[in-house]
Amino acid sequence: MNTTLLTQQILNGLAVGSVYALFALGYTLVFSILRVINFSHGALFTLGAYFTYTLTGSAFGFNGLLANAALPFGLPFPLAVLLGCLLAGLAGIVVERIAFKPLRDKGADPLLSLVSSLGMAVLIVNLIQYMVGAENYSFSSAVLGNLPPAMQFGFGGRAIPIRTVQVIIFAVSMLIVVALTYLINYTKLGKALRAVSEDATTASLLGINTDRLILFTFFLSGFLGGLAGVLIGLSVSIAGPYFGIAFGLKGLAVIVLGGMGSIPGAVVGGLAIGLSEAFVPAQYVAYKEAVAFLFLFIILLIRPQGLLGRIQTQKV
Amino acid sequence: MLPFRITRTTFSLLLIGAILLAACAGAPAANAPASAANTPAAEQAAAASGNPISIGVAVAQTSNVALLGQEEVIGAKLAEKFFNDKGGVNGTPIKLNLQDTAGDEAGAINAFQNLINADVVGIVGPTLSQQAFAADPFAEKAGVPVMAPSNTAKGIPQIGKYISRVSAPIARVAPNAVAAALKINPDIKNVAVAFAQNDAFSKSETATFQATITGTTGLNLVTVQTFQTTDTDFTTQATNILNAKPELVIISGLATDGGNLIKQLRDLGYTGLIIGGNGVNTPNVFPVCQKQCEGVLIAQAYSPELDTEINKQFVAAYTADQKKTPGQLTAQAFSGVQVLVEALQAADKKSPIKDMKLADLRTALNDQLLSGMKFQTPLGEISFDPEGEINQSQFYVAQLKMDADGKTGQFVYLK
Repeated sequence: MNTTLLTQQILNGLAVGSVYALFALGYTLVFSILRVINFSHGALFTLGAYFTYTLTGSAFGFNGLLANAALPFGLPFPLAVLLGCLLAGLAGIVVERIAFKPLRDKGADPLLSLVSSLGMAVLIVNLIQYMVGAENYSFSSAVLGNLPPAMQFGFGGRAIPIRTVQVIIFAVSMLIVVALTYLINYTKLGKALRAVSEDATTASLLGINTDRLILFTFFLSGFLGGLAGVLIGLSVSIAGPYFGIAFGLKGLAVIVLGGMGSIPGAVVGGLAIGLSEAFVPAQYVAYKEAVAFLFLFIILLIRPQGLLGRIQTQKV
Repeated sequence: MLPFRITRTTFSLLLIGAILLAACAGAPAANAPASAANTPAAEQAAAASGNPISIGVAVAQTSNVALLGQEEVIGAKLAEKFFNDKGGVNGTPIKLNLQDTAGDEAGAINAFQNLINADVVGIVGPTLSQQAFAADPFAEKAGVPVMAPSNTAKGIPQIGKYISRVSAPIARVAPNAVAAALKINPDIKNVAVAFAQNDAFSKSETATFQATITGTTGLNLVTVQTFQTTDTDFTTQATNILNAKPELVIISGLATDGGNLIKQLRDLGYTGLIIGGNGVNTPNVFPVCQKQCEGVLIAQAYSPELDTEINKQFVAAYTADQKKTPGQLTAQAFSGVQVLVEALQAADKKSPIKDMKLADLRTALNDQLLSGMKFQTPLGEISFDPEGEINQSQFYVAQLKMDADGKTGQFVYLK
């Protein structure tokens, strides 16, 4: 394999992997605090994209309750993204109140909140379809301003183009991982979050408002999920109400591979799966997901705790 | 970083969740109630003259195939109103029974069985060829005529004697696009092909395209790339295609995946011609690839510019409702309902259908469809051969022309 091709495939893998990483970051955040999987994360991701689309003043299609409707105003894209993600964050809070809190208060088995969050996902996705139909929506290509559609990473006269929007996604996921790592490891809020994750009862005895921290976690997770939805929507269009659900399974694989609840693990896991997909030979490329999951399986056989997960001894 | 240990319970929970999630993604909203089919006009007509004749429409109203199915619902509903306004079947109105097939085989079988057990005289559907291969045998066994509105894969009418289609097979339609591309750029030598390998229709279509290329002197098939209709990222396929340096790329997929592949190919710097298959033959591809859709060639079984009375009325009715011009799928769904109505009219004249038992009526309808009767539809004049395959006289090639804002565009029909 020549170096140009190799570099190209590495860059392709990183570009695809950063999409997975971005999705998985919000996923892993909730897991790291509550140790439950929020299956409605994919739906929040979709909601963020739809909210932002609406706030830019774009019209809906000919199906659904809101056929041909549009806001009378259109916000500039960065503002719409911010507001859209805030709304997705609020939806995250709603999910927590409906699908998690009542079960947590009753001390229910974690499996139940898994199913109730899945129920929320189905509900949200179907609500979206009921409201605005199943068609594709796209952000106007003008939102990237005068940026070229692709950037060149070639050397020695060989062109290696990477789509600009993928470069942006890569940069954003790196920024978020740095910000989250800082938040959790170096701030008071992070310390409180870690305390809740360690033992919620003791934390609340020490005066930490665990309920509020859990709400904050869901808000942040919804916000990040929404942001991922917008960025991926920008890259590949908002492919109908089901488009976030499709990322759910891959996102789960990413956090398992990276190490459950590990923030850098989500990024490493995402990039590793992206890279493993990129190196699938051309004639088998439609089977890349099978290859990626096989890779996941092999890694887990060697390191059951995931790439960056730590084995914790069971406390009695 | 927060440490955590994966216990066996957690892992099995995850596994169960993953399976549930996959099941959900696969058959979304399978239980969603079929939306009410009646237009107020149809209800009134029904009240005036007894029981309306029920025609089943089983297309995808949910899932990622809903993009195509929604167009078909519009076409079928337009036909219902159009023919009821003209008196239905010799005075008896028709009524659509709409069932959602979603995007997979299980959904199609479910919808077909609902309709077979209801009192429908025939079924228009399903949306995908893939679904037809699974669901049509049930209708065949029950003796219910099926008129496929958009199944263009090889072998559809051969499923059985009750199975016919208004959608011309790709083997007839597709090669027209390659000829049009060579007319625009006679220097084309190297051709790349990409197709969705999890879709029966796309596989069948790419076989036709590949045979056309290898059968045309001077053309080389330089690479064949595969993808899945559920994929969103096509970086690998696009770069593989670019590395093969083709002057023409032919894509067989559905609107979202096909549109994304077109967009990503263009983003990465491909400047040659692109032919899209029947799956991207819908205005729904516009919001996906936006400005990058410009210039894509698509062979057509329908042209809104066809200058016949019925087509002008169909286009006017669609435009009044939807504020845009209709695409092939809508025209085919309209024609699917139309041929059933007109065949019922003809059968009724031979022997009054209201005296027939449902099973006999279904057989009489099928016999009439396959009798060689000619229908003047928005697709032009069509008839069916004894196997149920459509005989269609005219085909077209359109080129996508995008508006300045990149959000909407037109199918410009090449002369």
